Amino acid sequence: MKLKSLLSALLAVVAVTGATAKDIELLNVSYDPTRELYVEYNAAFSAYWKGKTGDNVTIKQSHGGSGKQARSVIDGLKADVVTLALANDVSAISKNAGLLPANWQERLPLGSAPYTSTIVFLVRKSSPFYGKIKDWNDLTLPGLAVITPNPKTSGGAQWNYLAAWEYGRRKLGSDEKAQEFVKSIYKNVPVLDSGARGSTTTFVQRGIGDVFLSWENEAFLAVKEFGADKFEIVVPSLSILAQPTVAVVDKVAKKKGTEAVAKAYLEYLYSDEAQDIIGKNYYRPTSAAAKAKYAASFPKVELFTIDDAFGGWTKAHKDHFSDGATFDQIYLKK
Amino acid sequence: MRTLTTAVRTALFTTITAVGLTASLSAQNASAADLDALREQIRLLDQKLRVLERNSELAAETAAADAKKLPKITATEGRFEIASSDGANSLRLRGLVQGDGRFYFDDANAAQDRFLLRRARLIFEGKFAERFNYVVQPEFAGTTVSILDANISTALIPETLNVRVGRFKTPVGLEQLQSDPVAFFNERSIATNLAPNRDVGVEIFGSVLEKRLGYQVSATNGVIDGGNSNPASDNLEGDFTVAGRLFATPFVNDKDSVLKGLGFGIAAATGNYAGAQLNAYRTDGQQNFFAYRGTTVANGRASVISPQAYFYNGPLGILAEYFSNSAELINAANAREITNTAVNLSVGYVLTGEDSTYRGVTPKTTFNPTAGTWGAFEVVARFAQVDIDDDAFLGGVTSLAAATNATEVTSYGLGLNWYLSKTVRAGFNVFQNDFKLAPGAAPAAGTALADDETVFITRVQVSF
Repeated sequence: MKLKSLLSALLAVVAVTGATAKDIELLNVSYDPTRELYVEYNAAFSAYWKGKTGDNVTIKQSHGGSGKQARSVIDGLKADVVTLALANDVSAISKNAGLLPANWQERLPLGSAPYTSTIVFLVRKSSPFYGKIKDWNDLTLPGLAVITPNPKTSGGAQWNYLAAWEYGRRKLGSDEKAQEFVKSIYKNVPVLDSGARGSTTTFVQRGIGDVFLSWENEAFLAVKEFGADKFEIVVPSLSILAQPTVAVVDKVAKKKGTEAVAKAYLEYLYSDEAQDIIGKNYYRPTSAAAKAKYAASFPKVELFTIDDAFGGWTKAHKDHFSDGATFDQIYLKK
Repeated sequence: MRTLTTAVRTALFTTITAVGLTASLSAQNASAADLDALREQIRLLDQKLRVLERNSELAAETAAADAKKLPKITATEGRFEIASSDGANSLRLRGLVQGDGRFYFDDANAAQDRFLLRRARLIFEGKFAERFNYVVQPEFAGTTVSILDANISTALIPETLNVRVGRFKTPVGLEQLQSDPVAFFNERSIATNLAPNRDVGVEIFGSVLEKRLGYQVSATNGVIDGGNSNPASDNLEGDFTVAGRLFATPFVNDKDSVLKGLGFGIAAATGNYAGAQLNAYRTDGQQNFFAYRGTTVANGRASVISPQAYFYNGPLGILAEYFSNSAELINAANAREITNTAVNLSVGYVLTGEDSTYRGVTPKTTFNPTAGTWGAFEVVARFAQVDIDDDAFLGGVTSLAAATNATEVTSYGLGLNWYLSKTVRAGFNVFQNDFKLAPGAAPAAGTALADDETVFITRVQVSF
């Protein structure tokens, strides 16, 4: 048999056997508190995709501190999509592993952030400090125990670190004084978990600490699950607009042949159905309809953005969370 | 950390006790402020204890997570493997050593009695980047080291569509495709003389219908039958050999079906081998019973077709295959197309009750006389026959084969396999090979065909 006819025969075999593929599996590598959100969203998306294409799509979830999750993807975890707490963590995957282009935030609306959140205080009602914690400056009270994850590994911790910093800067007038202010808060931190869900465990289940610097959705969940008689959500006078971001990990998806469904999976986060699920899970939706529907659920708070206060994530990370930056100066010298 | 925690617990207990004593001894004198201060002290100690316990917990979690990142080393009987923590990369070391004794009971071959190292192989296999599997199998027995298998494969669609490139077994003979150490007998049947063996090329393989139908299609340089191609050889006549095999196991997913172990299929190969030298055919005792003249070569296309089947149910195993091998051959001006045929029917029964499978027998116990365990025992029987086309002997001095060859060989085999452990097996086989010679043929005294062959082959093998 000559080469040309041989190749034709082999291609025919490939075509016939390849036509049977129907089951698709995606891996969504996400940050800590999104477990419940994506359980509900994945079911909705699978039903949507089945109706649209007839294919069965199963989405596996992986959760952990946002920075830690990004490191896992860089080290080889085969994520089709990432839905992380910080744009900077997604950019790190682009920069360090080249798995997606540098302009990834331009591919989806709103800078690839289909929902937002913020940082609030979850206060233990049995604490002697209950009633005394109203704002960021109360976190420096002597004897107070503050629970927050490690900013080196947790996206949520970076958001609350920067929120405290900006509060200090506005109140005290300079970055130097802001650093001293944040340092005095961290003097009150007895345990550093690697992610937000671990800190929830520390605070809620292990009974450690007086106040927990928490994702807003995580605080709502804790109150819902463990009772308003035990915890109270305190909203500070100023907080940060947290913008978790999502992206297709192009090279992995291409290799696995899941590009189309991975792209659709993220695009569907902006749909009416998804935005409703987002609101139900205490994340702040971005569509006008869902915003209006859930407006009453979220407390009013003055929010600033990372771009306005810190010049964007790249600069913020370099100034505060890279090796030797302000967090290391604060915490290593604690 | 545990000691520290215990110390804190002790301190806490002591403090609580002291508080209690103090309270009871001087309750009337103690002020409310004093009691509040003591309560606060207890609260702070309780918090410190909880912090210590939580930090200890986190340290343990970190240690466990770090441990998961370490490479995994497996060293059990039958499995030696190093794998990355995520299992995506691995190297598994396998091996096969077979020590044989051959004892001939016929006068013609008595001088061939011997002990020999039949096979001595180290097999390196594993995967890279999760989806690229590799195997390299050198053979150290014999006078030179050779590479048997060396290939890389990957799944384009898991289970359904895989591609293999390199040197591998041509997908034709059912017994040939079975791993050496798990075949019923120490030597494969004489029918396997007609099956092409290892070759260099590319193969597409997989299974569909939930593993009920397996397929293999290969394109290789070409090996005419009964032998291995030279790993570095070019393809013959600028033409590739194409082989294909379909094998059905329709009841493989029916756990309780008596036909769960039934498999049947058909395989075929064809190619142009013009100019190729031809292989000799050997008896169970590995003596040549047929060889073409040295001047006879392939003259064009050769094809083999092989219907095949097996059936395994509990301790019973049956394997059967048939070959029809036609080839265009030439010696000087004598060009002919000849068709040789062969059949193999093998049966095994595991006396100790273990399951017989195409992948072998796994004994329930390991040989240990002091513990009263003896491993597993299996009896095996085989009938095989090779029939050489009569046309091979036509043409006088330019016939394709000399009249001193056998025209037909019928083989009867009986054996006992003793599985001393998962990796160690001893085999004791007796074979009777009856030769039918060409009319008027009179082999010289002392040559292999002067008497029918009766041979006793023993083997001890380690395979892991």
